Amino acid sequence: MEIKPILSALSRNKTGALLIALQIALTMTIIVNSVFMIQHRQGQMDRESGINEADTFILSYMGFAEDYNEKTQLIEDLNFIRELPGVVDAVQTNSAPLTGGGWSMSLATETGPDADDVGTAIYFVDDHGVNAFGVNLIAGRNFTADEIIWRERTSTKWPGQGVITKALAADLFEDDWQSALGKTVYISETQPINIVGIIDKMQAPWNGWSGVERTLLVPSYTEFGGARIFIRTEPGERDRLMTEIEEQLVANYKGRLIRRVRSMEEVRTDSYRSHNGMNTILKTLIICLTVVTALGIVGLASFSVNRRKKQIGTRRALGARKLDILRYFMVENFLITTFGVVLGAVMTIGLNMVLVDMLDLPKIDWYYIPAGMAVLWFIGLMAVFGPAKKACQISPALATRSV
Amino acid sequence: MLKMNNIKKVFRTEVVETHALRDFSLNVDEGEFVAVTGPSGSGKTTFLNIAGLLETFTGGEYFLDGVDVKGLNDNQRSKLRNEKIGFIFQSFNLIPDLNLFDNVDVPLRYRAMNAKERKERIENALETVGLANRMKHIPSQLSGGQQQRVAIARALAGSPRFLLADEPTGNLDSEMAESVMSLLEDINQKGTTIIMVTHDPKLALRTPRSIAVKDGLVSEVVRKEAVSEANENVAAFA
Repeated sequence: MEIKPILSALSRNKTGALLIALQIALTMTIIVNSVFMIQHRQGQMDRESGINEADTFILSYMGFAEDYNEKTQLIEDLNFIRELPGVVDAVQTNSAPLTGGGWSMSLATETGPDADDVGTAIYFVDDHGVNAFGVNLIAGRNFTADEIIWRERTSTKWPGQGVITKALAADLFEDDWQSALGKTVYISETQPINIVGIIDKMQAPWNGWSGVERTLLVPSYTEFGGARIFIRTEPGERDRLMTEIEEQLVANYKGRLIRRVRSMEEVRTDSYRSHNGMNTILKTLIICLTVVTALGIVGLASFSVNRRKKQIGTRRALGARKLDILRYFMVENFLITTFGVVLGAVMTIGLNMVLVDMLDLPKIDWYYIPAGMAVLWFIGLMAVFGPAKKACQISPALATRSV
Repeated sequence: MLKMNNIKKVFRTEVVETHALRDFSLNVDEGEFVAVTGPSGSGKTTFLNIAGLLETFTGGEYFLDGVDVKGLNDNQRSKLRNEKIGFIFQSFNLIPDLNLFDNVDVPLRYRAMNAKERKERIENALETVGLANRMKHIPSQLSGGQQQRVAIARALAGSPRFLLADEPTGNLDSEMAESVMSLLEDINQKGTTIIMVTHDPKLALRTPRSIAVKDGLVSEVVRKEAVSEANENVAAFA
């Protein structure tokens, strides 16, 4: 292999090669970090919320009439909806996974302001919550009807029972989630909640929150001036019931305004709209950078071939086969690309450290670096192949031409 | 060693056909030093390109060291060129980014030759042309005459069967030209066959045999013995 003379020649014509190596390094830095960000976001989007999303929707309304009685209307609505053919169950709740708005509090295994606490999302539900959300109760029991309390917006009182997710149980009890059942945890520093059940999974409303898997269900109806009802239907019945229930509720009582009816699929799409948008931008950036870098390599290699036509002709005259000329340019480009990707590997880690610091991203997985290097090597070799092939076609007779 | 019979070379474009060589025949024996002369456009360079396997020919026969080159493919021609022929070009054709050692190494790298043997050959070749102490210099640090000496070293390093020199002194002043010509004569004295294309009649007269090419044909063959004899006759008459 001609590595030494190629390196020697490159060292005497540094500028072009260095610029391309730098471009490769920058491209690798941006591409690898972008791919990592895309994968990270995709990983977040692919997470299951833990609830049934395919057959569920949320209906929210506000009461405005003078005769609007929040408590009686809610019970009446829930009974009505639960009786409708095609409805599996329904529950009044303050929020739902992926909606982006909800409640959070801190839970501790001990009382007092100095106790170590764990942040958790809170859903107010009745004894239909587990079934309506379609979550999987893996230990303990569901709430009973007599445990449900009414809660006003400004209330600071909490019911004495709770159902928590496995993830929250593990965080509260040092990874031994099963030991959480029957234990008492404290909310608002002093108010005890007895853990009566554990569900496998149910995400918090905020998809970007690091504690998104920590959730507490408490047995409460809320008096917030309206209601948000989460409805689960038989498979295939959702779309029909979304329209029908909205119309029926309006027909049943006109002193309220139906604010919104959204399927959980729509909620998920809305929730990750910015993720999708950013991924599209990053993918476009990756394609543009790859094309620009490939064109840069093609440009440099073409320039190099044109500048060295006589030299190539001489090499051919001295016995180089076409394959030798092809190999020369491929090896030369491989060396430039190698310098670029090694520099790129360092810069990739550097940029990731900045992103970890600024955007709270996780550290990049190690295998992204060699994968990025391999991709850039491949792009480099593919880009130089055309000009190198052209160089092969240069006639050895060019060596004897005076111009 | 080199035998050309009725070689034809026609360059064709859409509108014109140019007959660069027409029934060109030449035999060069081992150890000869032959000059090929002729005016511009006479076919000298075409002859050189065909003799050096740099170009194919349209018709005729060409045997190089007993090998019929007509049926050879590009790889076989490259191999033959590499092993049998040493080239010396008018403008030296050294690779400007490589030092002298690496320049002389270029043709050797295209052979399956180990690094030790290559090093030995390169050092010997540079020693022969008197530049062994400047191996790490790059061509631009040398004079034209020295650069041509490096090119000669590069041509010699592979121990070729013959040297093809294309106007080897064309870019040199008279002093350097003399030095390079003397070097070629020394190399020939040691047994290397040389074919030198030149438009300089004085240089041609220094070779034992000179061939004049005109309109793609060998128009005249002059032997040094005959020239010497004629000169002696002229001197006696005077």
